[in-house]
Amino acid sequence: MAAEGLSARDWGTADRPTRTRRRHTALYSAVAMALVLGAFVGVLATRKSALDKQARSPLLGEQAPDIIGDSITNGAPFSLMSLRGRYVLVNFFASWCEPCQEEQPQLVAFDHEPSGRTAVVGVLFSDTPGPAKAFLAANGGDWPVLADPEGQLALNYGVRGPPESYLVNPNGVVLAKFIGGVSDAGLDRLVAEAQQGGGQ
Amino acid sequence: MNALVGRDAVLLGFLAALGGVVTLGFGLRRHQDHLLRQARTYAWLILGAAVLAVAMMERALLTYDFSLTYVADNGGRQVPVIFTISTLWGALAGSILLWTLILAGYTAAVVLKFRRRAVDPLVAWATLVMYSVCAFFFALMLFSGANPFTKVPGTPPANGPGPNPLLQDHPLMIIHPPMLYLGYVGFTVPFAFAVAALVTGRLGEGWLIETRRWTLLAWGFLTVGIVLGAWWSYEVLGWGGFWAWDPVENAAFLPWLCGTAFIHSVMVQERRGMLRVWNLSLVLATFCLTILGTFLTRSGVIDSVHAFTESDVGPWILTFFVIVLAVSIGLIGWRGDRLRSPGAIDSPFSREGAFLANNLLFAAFAFVVLLGTVFPLLIEAINGQQITIGGPYFNTMTEPIVLCLLFLMAIAPALPWRKASGELMRKRLLFPAWTAGLTVVACVAFGLRGGVDTLACFGLGAFAAAAAVRQLVLATRRSLADGAGPWRGIVGRANGGMIVHIGVVIIAVAFAASQAYGHRTEIPMRAGQSAKVSGHTITFLGIHTEQHSNRTSLVADVRIDGGKVYTPQISDYPADPGGGIGTPSVRSTPVDDVYLTIASPPQTPADPTVIGVTVQPLIIWLWIGGGFMAFGTLLAMLPGRRRRPVLPASAPAHEEAPVRPRRLPAGASAAVETP
Repeated sequence: MAAEGLSARDWGTADRPTRTRRRHTALYSAVAMALVLGAFVGVLATRKSALDKQARSPLLGEQAPDIIGDSITNGAPFSLMSLRGRYVLVNFFASWCEPCQEEQPQLVAFDHEPSGRTAVVGVLFSDTPGPAKAFLAANGGDWPVLADPEGQLALNYGVRGPPESYLVNPNGVVLAKFIGGVSDAGLDRLVAEAQQGGGQ
Repeated sequence: MNALVGRDAVLLGFLAALGGVVTLGFGLRRHQDHLLRQARTYAWLILGAAVLAVAMMERALLTYDFSLTYVADNGGRQVPVIFTISTLWGALAGSILLWTLILAGYTAAVVLKFRRRAVDPLVAWATLVMYSVCAFFFALMLFSGANPFTKVPGTPPANGPGPNPLLQDHPLMIIHPPMLYLGYVGFTVPFAFAVAALVTGRLGEGWLIETRRWTLLAWGFLTVGIVLGAWWSYEVLGWGGFWAWDPVENAAFLPWLCGTAFIHSVMVQERRGMLRVWNLSLVLATFCLTILGTFLTRSGVIDSVHAFTESDVGPWILTFFVIVLAVSIGLIGWRGDRLRSPGAIDSPFSREGAFLANNLLFAAFAFVVLLGTVFPLLIEAINGQQITIGGPYFNTMTEPIVLCLLFLMAIAPALPWRKASGELMRKRLLFPAWTAGLTVVACVAFGLRGGVDTLACFGLGAFAAAAAVRQLVLATRRSLADGAGPWRGIVGRANGGMIVHIGVVIIAVAFAASQAYGHRTEIPMRAGQSAKVSGHTITFLGIHTEQHSNRTSLVADVRIDGGKVYTPQISDYPADPGGGIGTPSVRSTPVDDVYLTIASPPQTPADPTVIGVTVQPLIIWLWIGGGFMAFGTLLAMLPGRRRRPVLPASAPAHEEAPVRPRRLPAGASAAVETP
């Protein structure tokens, strides 16, 4: 310890008596690093979770393409128009898609919002009704689900791979597109923003 | 009962860590030595609590206690026992539990090692830092969404889905994560000592000598963890590659780069007393990068194949990251200028000059990787655009850096300290340069195609390997002359380091060869048909189904070169509706690997099966190179040859009173070739 007590300054002075003014390189570098990293942390802190990441889509602000067909869950005819007045999440999914399985509980939560102003519609993407029914039985979800065997709905919406989802407002206008999973909390936030913004 | 005891254990650990922090804080402030001695006890409490919590979680997993959310989500009766044990690190909450256990282990080891020096403020401060980090991780389990001991609301389910299917069919999954965490967490020790050195203003090289082996240990584990991770990805994921520059891989690679820079530049400080602030900064940065990596991969801000599903640990880890950053930068800013060491590098053509260049290259390497990892986030923050950065960016940017590093690896061991003369270098580099030249000539003569960069990698690799071999031969010869056994020639930091270098060269060459000469194809085949791929005959024998406790597998039988039958498969895990999981089957030889997958199974019995075949040369040498690196690290941790007394700076340190290095007498080292 005693040996350690001799500091670099003493040592430095002894070594180089000419260096009287202390330099501040470390201090300045630290301040510069602090500024850069502060900004970096700011970026990190304000990032939304990748789950709620919204994607660009030509459909944003446009009328959602209609979805008409028989639901595979109960065979009842369905039309997206029938859900006007509610915030609808159109969810493209497949039973073979693991992220879809992970996001399913979030969809169930969104479908069951106490406000009663939300709904979910599922559209199969490259999948058949059989496995899809098993998927719904295992992971929950009792909303209308359409088969889309020709992939026409996916084409209309510009879906590339499941899960992709579109949030449609009560007037049938597309508010947001999500590539990858969504979260109930994130959707609620968007709905709340839309309600404030639109005065609804 | 598992949940109750487990939660209490976590609480106990948290309180013990806090108790340790408070006791040490008071003891340091009031200069009360008995408090500092007393504070050692908390390390054992923390370790006991962590062991108990892990034991409870393992008990819950093994007894299928599905009342715990973690077990209900990740456990399953159909899962083989060995993978039930490894389920502990198969998901977020459990992996934080494992992290905490390893941290508690390191903390106890530090306290045990320095038990006689507990009243030394340097040791007390370092222990305080370790306790604080422990407190954070226990708090994370207590208060955030990563609590491993939450209970299932309502009736517990009768069975669970088991861990992610990718995590339950390969033994590497059992050892890769613990190795990685042993590396990751191990960097807490040098971080703690660096903070302690800065706080106490104990500027000598003492703290470095204390932490040298700890750093090497952590670095060695991290190396092994990364290599095993690449191996696992190769054996399990079925895309034929082993490194994808995925954010999780980068998260482990960044601290590795930073730590590698440190274990090199630290030698300059030990020998010449220079680069002190730089070394401290590297240690602090390494730890910051481990925490940043944890944040990036656990918070869901970055999409990654490895990313855990959403939880609220993000803000917690980010807060911790900010604290660690603030402490690090604050200490450097406050103390840095007073620590600045005297002396300057005499000549760029010297050992220290080479180490400096090495550090600049590693810093550039780390910056390139970090930038590529977070660039999508930055771009999105600036203009909302979503971009992806993939392999091409990383490969293009890192290739010149790797080539420069190989070149440095060749000449640095030959460079003397202080200043090199042309004649000395000519003598020392003669053999390595000839080896490099002959290698390139041989490659060209045998008509190896591939770009100039591949050829450069082979040539520089041979250059570096020959330089390392030359060092080892000289060291062995010297130790024989001294009357010590020949093994003395490979022990110690310098010689062990050369073996690590050989491992790095092997990996670099294998990497370049697999990138340049790999070949992938997909062949639709019916039973009995054969095909030729890159000189190998692939015969498809047929396809059948196998039933296992946790899965049903579609197995293809494929004979390679008329020899053994290999069985790529696609497995369905009933508990996991995610669909089939492909498992490749690989024939490895020292020359090349034949990597088989079922690219697509037949839809009807009449359809052909599409077999994916990837042939890549030298793959097996990646793992062998990793073995060299681990072995070399181990040797480097053993005490090496006694230094000559003419070099006071490198005299072996005494436990109680570390020797303060002095500047070398001019020319003292030029004549002696001990690194």
